[in-house]
Amino acid sequence: MDASGAAPGIYERTPPVWSGPGAMGRYFDLLHSLVSRAIKQRYKRSVLGFAWTMLNPLFTMVILTVVFSAVFGAIVPNYPLFVIIGLLAWNLFSLGSTQGLASVVDSGPLIRKVAVPKAMFPLAAVGANLVNFLLSLVPLALVMLVMRVEITVAILWVPVGVLLIGLFTLGIALALATLNVFFRDVRYFYEAGLLAWFYGTPIFYPIDVLSPRARAVLQWNPLYVLVEVFRTPLYAGTAPAPGIVAAAALEAGAMALLGWWIFRRYQARFVDYI
Amino acid sequence: MRYDLQQERVISVREYAIRRLRGERFPTQTLWPLRGVSFDVRAGESFGIVGRNGAGKSTLLKVIAGIVPPTRGRVRVHGHLSPLLELGAGFDHELTGRENIQLYGTLLGLRRKHLRDRVAAIADFAELTPFIDVPLKNYSSGMVARLAFAIATDSDPDILIVDEVLSVGDAPFQRKCEERLARFRARGVTVLLVTHDLHLLTETCSRAVLLEAGASCIVGAAEEIAARYAERTGG
Repeated sequence: MDASGAAPGIYERTPPVWSGPGAMGRYFDLLHSLVSRAIKQRYKRSVLGFAWTMLNPLFTMVILTVVFSAVFGAIVPNYPLFVIIGLLAWNLFSLGSTQGLASVVDSGPLIRKVAVPKAMFPLAAVGANLVNFLLSLVPLALVMLVMRVEITVAILWVPVGVLLIGLFTLGIALALATLNVFFRDVRYFYEAGLLAWFYGTPIFYPIDVLSPRARAVLQWNPLYVLVEVFRTPLYAGTAPAPGIVAAAALEAGAMALLGWWIFRRYQARFVDYI
Repeated sequence: MRYDLQQERVISVREYAIRRLRGERFPTQTLWPLRGVSFDVRAGESFGIVGRNGAGKSTLLKVIAGIVPPTRGRVRVHGHLSPLLELGAGFDHELTGRENIQLYGTLLGLRRKHLRDRVAAIADFAELTPFIDVPLKNYSSGMVARLAFAIATDSDPDILIVDEVLSVGDAPFQRKCEERLARFRARGVTVLLVTHDLHLLTETCSRAVLLEAGASCIVGAAEEIAARYAERTGG
């Protein structure tokens, strides 16, 4: 009880709510509530509702095809398919990470009043975008059908790719959400950075069109391999190269761990800054 | 079940400049909204917390509820705790009453299946059965408060933290809330009551703590604390 003691405070609750037996189920249910809220928010008051999630990538695909098929069409067969696969992967990452970034600050009123595990907010943002992503597989299937693309057993790699992109996105979201609590303008920096990132990732162009030097730089873009793991089995109908899969898994795992570590380290202080 | 709130708590308010990204830091100012506060609350007891505005009552409740971690010292909570702090903090006004029951309940750590089974009872207590599938934005503020109270008290708590929320809704509903709280007390639920109403304090609580801005605290029988508080506020 000495006031000078620097020992940190202790909070004990028995039975604990967010740890111990049964906690997993409570986490899962909270995630369920938050994800379904995010999805409902998105579709409320829109006439076409869920259709937007399917139409949006189709529109962007058409635009990019019209603009770029003269340039890349000759070297990339089935260019619209190439584009839409890349776009879906990109949207999952960019939407998940931007919404995840804002999620903690946006939930500020809640975090100040309810004892709730804060990591659930970025997790729910990424989760909601995973659900939307699943819906956007419908237009992808449509394009594959129209272009008569053969579906091979390599398609089993698709969930692996999605999982790795989701994991990477979660890592980024956790790290940026933490930063955003302390510096509110992180959001704007990130949005600007995302634009550059989009052009620096082979979404609408194949990596082969780049100069060897540019390609060497691009190897360092973690999204390149992540998109590749998702795209190759759908676009080429073959399994992604083992080296690419290994790199993608390593990057996604490392980013998720790093994000989690940063978030955990600072989350106790969030309440003072939100 | 036993409370042990010992020692201290600090919130350091750090003012960062707009130029914070350059790494410039403003001098740190340290505040101790709660310091040297220590008391036990016995199981089944109704315990009052009084103090003037800014005495640290809300901070104390947040520490007990586990919303802010104590900087120093120790907080021990035994049993299921249901905080009635700022009712409806977790509500989303675009969602319906039913959807909000699920959302708010899971935020408190309740299971979705359990909540699904309880929707009817919660809506009934809140007198909102016909409106349960209407978005909250179309509710009056009294309806929202009733729903929040109904959800927060529906779970079977061992400890209830009440932060002057009894002024919810109209007179008949207030009576219903008081009845429910009285039933909880009769059943042996520990109640922590924050109030400025000294009459309510002496009526419901056996003991109380008087908090004084960031410094000492006095624990004693409710009547004694009420008298001290009245003295201090010039009442």
